[in-house]
Amino acid sequence: MSDSRQERLAHVLVDYSARVEQGDLVTLETTTLGAPIMRELYRAVLAAGAHPLPRITLEGLSENLLKHGDDDQLAWVNPARADDIETVDVRIVLDAPANTKRLSNIDPKRQARHELANEGLRNRYLQRAAAGELRWVLSVYPTEAAAQDASMSLAEYDDFVYGAAFLDAPDPAAAWRQFGERIDRVGDFLAGKRELRIVAEDTDLSLVTEGRQWIRAKGHENLPDGEVFTAPLETSVEGEIRFSYPAVFNAREVDDVRLRFEAGEVVEASATRGEEFLRQMIDMDDGARRVGEFAFGLNEAVPLFTKNILFDEKIGGTVHLALGTAYPESGGLNRSALHWDMICDLRSGSEVYADGELVYRDGHFLNGLASPPGGASRPAEPQQQ
Amino acid sequence: MNDPRFDRLAELVLDHSLELRPGQLLRIDADAVAAPLILPLHREAIKRGAHAYAAIDLVGLKELLVAQGSDEQLDFVSPIELREVDAIDAAITIWSESNTRSFSRADPARRQRQLTADRQYSLRRRDRIARGDLRWCGTLSPTNAHAQDADMSLADYEDFVFRACHVLDDDPVGHWRSVAEQLGARAGELGGVRELRIVGEDTDLIAVVEGRTWRSAHGRQNMPDGEVYTSPVETSVNGTIRFGFPAVFGGREVDDVRLRFEEGRVVSAEAAGGQPYLDALLDMDEGARGVGELAFGLNYEIDRFTRNILFDEKIGGTIHVALGMGFADLGGLNRSTLHLDLICDLRREGEVYADGELVWRAGRFLSEIQPTSRPVEHVG
Repeated sequence: MSDSRQERLAHVLVDYSARVEQGDLVTLETTTLGAPIMRELYRAVLAAGAHPLPRITLEGLSENLLKHGDDDQLAWVNPARADDIETVDVRIVLDAPANTKRLSNIDPKRQARHELANEGLRNRYLQRAAAGELRWVLSVYPTEAAAQDASMSLAEYDDFVYGAAFLDAPDPAAAWRQFGERIDRVGDFLAGKRELRIVAEDTDLSLVTEGRQWIRAKGHENLPDGEVFTAPLETSVEGEIRFSYPAVFNAREVDDVRLRFEAGEVVEASATRGEEFLRQMIDMDDGARRVGEFAFGLNEAVPLFTKNILFDEKIGGTVHLALGTAYPESGGLNRSALHWDMICDLRSGSEVYADGELVYRDGHFLNGLASPPGGASRPAEPQQQ
Repeated sequence: MNDPRFDRLAELVLDHSLELRPGQLLRIDADAVAAPLILPLHREAIKRGAHAYAAIDLVGLKELLVAQGSDEQLDFVSPIELREVDAIDAAITIWSESNTRSFSRADPARRQRQLTADRQYSLRRRDRIARGDLRWCGTLSPTNAHAQDADMSLADYEDFVFRACHVLDDDPVGHWRSVAEQLGARAGELGGVRELRIVGEDTDLIAVVEGRTWRSAHGRQNMPDGEVYTSPVETSVNGTIRFGFPAVFGGREVDDVRLRFEEGRVVSAEAAGGQPYLDALLDMDEGARGVGELAFGLNYEIDRFTRNILFDEKIGGTIHVALGMGFADLGGLNRSTLHLDLICDLRREGEVYADGELVWRAGRFLSEIQPTSRPVEHVG
């Protein structure tokens, strides 16, 4: 049975997010489980007058390589994928896992070798994106595996995913444009600040963002979306932070991560589960111990943690930071094969200070910046306390 | 549950068909429905030190392109895919489908236009194969769609496919090496023949093959395999032939085709079913009424018609004639976009004469060519 929300998702991705134009070369990347959404995307790309290039992966292939490959094979970069990255105008990528724990028993060192080798591909596509040569968007197609991680039935997870992407709205693209205006107001406000301090349970972290760009994530590169992020000055991060949610990287979970920073570098890292994996990841390379991203999650339609970073980092009322590589457009200089987002829930007992002034409490900006339109608390200008 | 027969087919294709070596780049082309074979092919290629990746298609996408694409979209040839064809050392095409008739109702002209664009990849691949720069093999992972076409359950069809590939033999690679010796010898023997005459039910056909090369097909470019074939002298084909099995082309069937040739051209063509389609195929272009191939099917594990040319043309005890494109490297001169294989069952009362001498009766060559290795036995 076709879910009309799949068709709407395809159209939002093609027409709003990636702005596919006539003649574009568009890779459509998902797993074999994504077949239903792949057909909708293919149709939507054809309707836009562009050329759809399916890139379908089969779960088990990466496991084959990571289990059986020698060092040369692990470090191999597929020239066809490199050619895609170099050539196409648009990438539309949809996660659709059959088993999110498929790589749990792979030796992390082997995995790291593979990640390192393919770092160039990721850097290159981000570089082309920053130069305006390539548009990309990451989304999901709901599967049982993802629903299981979220502790939901697939029907419930469908509702969660499509709700978070505003696909129940009469005009989803219009809903994203409207939300985008609110996100812009938060970005404008933060752009005027020099230093942020986050205070919560077992957390007191300060960082300097002056001179960096606050990027407003409005549904163009992620869907769903809803965050503002930047890269703090690499040596400015000081203090400690405890992450409320398990940190998930390459489908591995690390619970209750606590980090202590000095001069921008992780000097202490602990976890109640998965500490060894955490250490291996932050020892991956020089940049893996520094912060590449700091962000506020603003999407109130993502109310709960589902073990998928695409959603979790957007949870309205959270902040997250990423160890590892920075997005060039944010002005960050840190480079690493790692980019590991970790999330801290600020919805109760938390405060954020900007240049010493309290601007955010219990998951909300005090000046009502990110509140939905029409609310009584929505000011035209950032309020002074 | 893992079925070890898929692993063994994968090993056979990599070790015998492709002779894959460490460091080589392998591309596996397949629809997602072939996953049970894609996975072991990829894994075994990695274990052999190669770099491997799969280019996976999904049923329904090309169908959308043909139904809804603009002319520009139908004609589009991906520069990325052309460069891939140039970069790889080895390629496997798994022809498995989840619906063998999904193009049956497509507009033939639009489908043709899209196929013409797709042919750019296969032509370039063929050139690289001919130059010895690329090894390629086409094979099949059993699916319900193919089982359905064969009037079988999937379990029975799997047995049929794996038997035809001899993957349950003690030494599948050894089996196909011995097939190579036998069929090579047979091709050499046929190379000394001037004229063949095929006699069967409603069939009496003469073809001159002198000066043409016979090739043995022993599992290098197809798995399963088992035929010897050539392109006969184009103007030499005379007489009548009746093809007992339906001819399947482009997802459509033509039943019980009877052809009459004069000086190499089809002058009369009748079919019990699908006459308009047969007529359309014969009128496709100038070369469509000429003969491109004459072959003996010699895989006796393939004992029935299953509506899949990969298997049907190798049925032990049959011959097949292809209308249309000939093999230039075997001396064939006929050119066409058509290559329609028509299969004639000679297992019951067929006879073949070579320069007047009876060489084949009831589906077997009369002269035995002894394999040098011991006959293979089945395990399990």
